[in-house]
Amino acid sequence: MTPLLKVQNVGKTYGKGANTFTALSNISFEVGKGEFVGVMGPSGAGKSTLLNVLATIDTPTTGEIIIGDTNLARMKDAELADFRRDNLGFIFQDYNLLDSLTVRENIVLPLAIAKMPTKAINARVDRIAALFGISDLLDKYPYQISGGQKQRTASSRALVTEPKLIFADEPTGALDSKSATDLLESLSDLNQTQAATIMMVTHDAFAASFCQRILFIQDGRLSKEIHRGTLTRKQFFQEILQVLSSIGGGVNDVI
Amino acid sequence: MTLFSLARKNIQRNLSNYFLYIASMVFSIVIYFTFVTLKYNDDLSALKQSSQQIKGLMSASSVVLLFFIVIFMAYSNSFFMKKRKKEVALYSLLGVRKQKIGLMLFFENLVIGLVSLVLGIVLGFFMSQGLLMILVRLMGYEVVGSLTFSMDALMNTTGIFTLLFLFTSLQGYRVIYQFKLIDLFHAEKQGEQIPRASLVAALLGTALIAFGYYTAASDMFTSEIWRFFTVLGTPLMVIGVTIAGTYLLFHTVSVFVLTALKRATSWSWKGLNLIGVSQLLYRIRANAKSLSIIAILSATTITAGGGVFGMYYNAEATVRQMLPNTFMWKGDTVEFSQKDVLYNEALSVKNLRVDNEFSFFEYTLLKESDYNRLAKLQGKDQELHIADGSTVLLDAAYDDRFSHDFTGEDFKLQNGDSFHVERMFTESVLNFIPAGTVLVVNDQEFTATNDAEEVIMQVVGLDNDLKQQDVSQDIYKQLSSEQQESFSSVPQSYEDSLATVGALLFVGSFLGLVFLAATGSIIYFKILTEAEEDQAKYAILNKIGVNSKQILKTVAGQVAVIFSAPLIVGIVHSAFALLAFSQLFGMNITKPVILWMVAYSAIYFIYYIFTVRSFYKIVRQGNN
Repeated sequence: MTPLLKVQNVGKTYGKGANTFTALSNISFEVGKGEFVGVMGPSGAGKSTLLNVLATIDTPTTGEIIIGDTNLARMKDAELADFRRDNLGFIFQDYNLLDSLTVRENIVLPLAIAKMPTKAINARVDRIAALFGISDLLDKYPYQISGGQKQRTASSRALVTEPKLIFADEPTGALDSKSATDLLESLSDLNQTQAATIMMVTHDAFAASFCQRILFIQDGRLSKEIHRGTLTRKQFFQEILQVLSSIGGGVNDVI
Repeated sequence: MTLFSLARKNIQRNLSNYFLYIASMVFSIVIYFTFVTLKYNDDLSALKQSSQQIKGLMSASSVVLLFFIVIFMAYSNSFFMKKRKKEVALYSLLGVRKQKIGLMLFFENLVIGLVSLVLGIVLGFFMSQGLLMILVRLMGYEVVGSLTFSMDALMNTTGIFTLLFLFTSLQGYRVIYQFKLIDLFHAEKQGEQIPRASLVAALLGTALIAFGYYTAASDMFTSEIWRFFTVLGTPLMVIGVTIAGTYLLFHTVSVFVLTALKRATSWSWKGLNLIGVSQLLYRIRANAKSLSIIAILSATTITAGGGVFGMYYNAEATVRQMLPNTFMWKGDTVEFSQKDVLYNEALSVKNLRVDNEFSFFEYTLLKESDYNRLAKLQGKDQELHIADGSTVLLDAAYDDRFSHDFTGEDFKLQNGDSFHVERMFTESVLNFIPAGTVLVVNDQEFTATNDAEEVIMQVVGLDNDLKQQDVSQDIYKQLSSEQQESFSSVPQSYEDSLATVGALLFVGSFLGLVFLAATGSIIYFKILTEAEEDQAKYAILNKIGVNSKQILKTVAGQVAVIFSAPLIVGIVHSAFALLAFSQLFGMNITKPVILWMVAYSAIYFIYYIFTVRSFYKIVRQGNN
């Protein structure tokens, strides 16, 4: 199987001269099509930096990132924006919905930007809204709905373009456990039924247990990788907790 | 730490935030101080007859200016307070009593006021001296303005602005007492409630504006409306009606158009159109209010500037219309410098007393051959061949509202003879003083008309005639007192009208400039504050794959709507106001008015470019 995402020796350094801070160094891994990959690590380990770099929101100092057959390192700012529009979907911890748009319009936005015909937009929006259970909320404004509903709206917006790769940055960070479970189940469902490729950054072992594979980052380096294989979600959850306590730092986050 | 030092340190540390606010305060003070300095200036009052007019004009204008400054300061103060809401909330959250926060803001405002007052007066002093020179030159005088510091102006400015600062400080207090902690968490997320696009309000708005336009465009001498509201009341009524109409129109029509656009998904769901429309709708109430204010300000500026510029532009034309020859007087010729002389003729004409059913008047009878010769000398491409018993009437003072058009009628003379009026020209070849209305007849008829007094008239044409003031005085001195009464001179008349119109032009363009700068600044403030609030939104857009070019496009589009809507309304408003104005003075001011509108729009456009650039810069900062 050819990998969808190929990360080779990626490094990211902030600052100049004596004041440099290395956020990422020498990270290499691959993600195949249809995988649900989690990235874990203690606070400040570089999880979000890695995701931002992969998501083309930030640029790496060294190394190559190849999505499909496109090398992101060689692209200009404008090309990157277009690439994001056409290939990537994002789910953020703080939803990042636009307050001035209704739920429907928020979901429509990426399709409108991609200049899709109105009819096709409607069909897609209705389908994705049904999938996330927000069909009744379409004409409300973000300030009128709850956090969980906002995150489902944000997820619908990320997925409505049917992106090759979905990035989620602590998507359950601001949700209560019920809403978090609902969202994770929807994502997992999407991953299994539609073979959507998802990469999720989280420090929550429960959220991570929905993934099939987890990469651990520590001090900017890849430190460990575990696979779910045939384990149940609960067994996998236990394994994650063990790894976290063995690499330290993360336990506090969990408890 | 005392409250005072806390306030002082607050300003020191947040200087960049305060900069815009202080700048707008200083700006207001500079403008006002400059203006009152000019008002109290001794050099100006020492000037000739027009000084009384200027004083009156300046007093009236300073009231307008003050009114405007109050609006402007209230505006920038409320922007400033809005920006600081979070800071106030933080103090409140940390447990500082509202009373204390209020006292602190009060001190702060006082410090800002003091600093801007000193800065403004120093800058205003230098600016007033510069402007004084310009004013004197525009009026065509050669007085050297000396640097004088006017105590009156200082007292006036200090007094007024102390009052204003007290007022804005109280406004600050009000904000603090109205403020609720919950605002900190929900601030601005909610957007403004979208007002209903009511058909009644839209119709009412349109009707009000239409009525205002109709009144302005109708003839003030015959219109019933003008008679009913009187000449003084009607303009006020028109202004009131138009302002109300403008507000209603912006309030309802903008909502109507924007929601319609948003609903038309085949348009709005294309690219970033959705964002542009939603952003405009999001702040619709505030937008409606500020767009109306801007539209009214623009209309005022364009009208004032256009009217005054039109008069200045017409000053020469009016003089030339009445006085086609550089000099003209009755009687014998005199000695004068022959430099620049194009022609110097003695004309033999006849003085006619004519009675007709409308009035009796003195007319000048002119030979066809003399007419043709003079017309050629004056560069008019016209040769007359008049039949026996006919005449061509030359009436430079013709006004179709008051004057009778004789074309095609018989013009009866005192002795019972009559001429058939073939044509009438509003351009004469003789100066209106002393010739008045002129009848041109062919040479035989001229000789045949014998019961009219023969008069000799001197006509002189000079090159570069506007600058021939010395020659004009030279001639004037040599004339007998009777001749002096009949003497007319282009340079003299031009200078006289410049003295009045020049002062008008100065006041007009000064106010125009102030209004323009302030209008631009209001929009600039408004948009930039919004840009800061919207930073996060554009950051989201960037993350979901909108490139910077598209963001620039939608930003430029939104700002264009906010700039162009009031400009267009302002231009249309002022077009009707100027129509009334040109009627009142019987002047054709189309060309200068269009020039002025273009100039205004051009400066406005520069503001637009600046605003878009700053907006875009702020938005881009949010991406990183």
